[in-house]
Amino acid sequence: MELLQGLSFLERGIAAGLMIGLIAPVVGAFLLVRRMTIISEGLSQVTLTGIATGVLMNQTMVWTEGINPLYTGFFFALIGSLVVERLRTVYKHFQELAIPVILSAGLGMSAILISSSGVSNTEWFNFLFGSIITVSAGDLLFIFIAGAAGLMILGLFYKEWLSISFDAEFAYTTGISVKWMNFLFAVLIALVISMSISVVGVLLVGALVTLPVASSLQLANSFRQVILYGILFGEGAVILGVIGSYYLNIATGGMIVVTGIILLFAAAGMKKVIHRCKRKSYLARLKEASS
Amino acid sequence: MIEVFFQFEFLRYSLFTGLMIGILAPAIGVFLVVRRLSLMADALSHITLTGIAFSLLLGRTVPFFAALNPVYMGMLFSVVGSLAVDRLGHVYRYYKELAIPIILSSGIGIGVVFISLADGFNNDLFNYLFGSVIAVSQADFYLVLALLFAVSLFIILFYKELLFLSFDEEQAIVSGLPRSFLHLSFMIVTAVVIGVSMQIVGILLVSALMTLPVAAAMRLADSFKQMLMYSIVIGEISVLAGMFSAFHLDLAPGGTIVMTNLLILTIIIMFTKSD
Repeated sequence: MELLQGLSFLERGIAAGLMIGLIAPVVGAFLLVRRMTIISEGLSQVTLTGIATGVLMNQTMVWTEGINPLYTGFFFALIGSLVVERLRTVYKHFQELAIPVILSAGLGMSAILISSSGVSNTEWFNFLFGSIITVSAGDLLFIFIAGAAGLMILGLFYKEWLSISFDAEFAYTTGISVKWMNFLFAVLIALVISMSISVVGVLLVGALVTLPVASSLQLANSFRQVILYGILFGEGAVILGVIGSYYLNIATGGMIVVTGIILLFAAAGMKKVIHRCKRKSYLARLKEASS
Repeated sequence: MIEVFFQFEFLRYSLFTGLMIGILAPAIGVFLVVRRLSLMADALSHITLTGIAFSLLLGRTVPFFAALNPVYMGMLFSVVGSLAVDRLGHVYRYYKELAIPIILSSGIGIGVVFISLADGFNNDLFNYLFGSVIAVSQADFYLVLALLFAVSLFIILFYKELLFLSFDEEQAIVSGLPRSFLHLSFMIVTAVVIGVSMQIVGILLVSALMTLPVAAAMRLADSFKQMLMYSIVIGEISVLAGMFSAFHLDLAPGGTIVMTNLLILTIIIMFTKSD
């Protein structure tokens, strides 16, 4: 803790960013193959409700003072991810409705809590759009604990999730408890979202989960490569974004996302170049063979 | 309690605008949901934010844009955004659903950069995000009124075509419906409705007004027409209850409208058995 407090705020921001850039794309890759990327958008808004509740609790009740709102945010995100699963069974034929419902519920509740709290609006903008200046030592501690826990769960259950993601029925018959694994996965998503919020902000967490994976999908040939390239793209976007936002004085979340978009375009361009090169060499070999 | 809304002119305008939005948003939402595009509303509303931020930024240097309501630029952006979603769907052929999160997060991300550049982190932005009871001017009111007629006309004229396209796209194309024309005009209408509604409910909560009433109506209705009717009724109830409570409790109207809506939805889910 003392070590964390010794860091300057820029160092804290970068340290937090590195951890997030590592874990968010990994989770994103799993969400991608399970076709659930959009869930990160829904849950991040629920996390906002949790954070708003935490801030309000800090204001009104003495005994909860000092609890970092990120913890209540995580708790709400976890409940939210369980509710999404429940809603999917309620709307069997329109499963995609679950996300907009949970998304608007989270935001609506947050809007009420925010407008009833006495805290100035500018403070909320930091939660919405992220800011490295606000990453406190306590936040950094939370990010590291959550990150370590997330990486541990990922390492332990990587194979099981891979199996479930690509063939849930097969996984079930081989004796993997799909229910338990889905629950753990929900915990993981909640962890990742709540730790990312203090840097990129509620509205932009989804970007950090999807953009790096979307870029790496352009180049990768296997799931492992999707994860690996995703981490590279994620770290690149976070580091460039944090530095850029510091020097240009632009909200951190926005800068990270814009960097992510630029990287996405770069990846798409690179794919085209590689494609063309391959075609050229193929044609050359064809010519050689025919002559 | 209600008299106050008739006493002051600006409140009267927002009340009537709110009532019209309560019709427009769920009516468009019904088609979005059955076309499985409910998330599109989220993506488009976030792109609208980019447009508004861009207009604010331009307003600092070009006087013309300072006078212009930023909502127009927002609508323009969201039409462009809907085209981009279609385009991205082709790029990620096997992961089509990736298009919406990409557009959604880029919309907000770029918007935030514009806002930062315009030094726009103030109370106005807060009203754009979460809505405001008093943001509606007389000009806005007449604009919404005109749009209500235009959109209703569009739905009445193309009701059959839209319905056909929503339930059986392939057959609709085979029988000669101009799919891309219909799709494009539907997206433009959606973008316009989002731009109009955001003045009261706020950008972040527009999509709620388009999907939540439909999600509730879906559990009660036996036919598509009934679903349309029920969702408009539910939309109106939540707009009215939300606006009154927002004004009297001094809360963001977007929040109260959505929470009323959510309350109705929860009650309906509890009292109807899942099928």
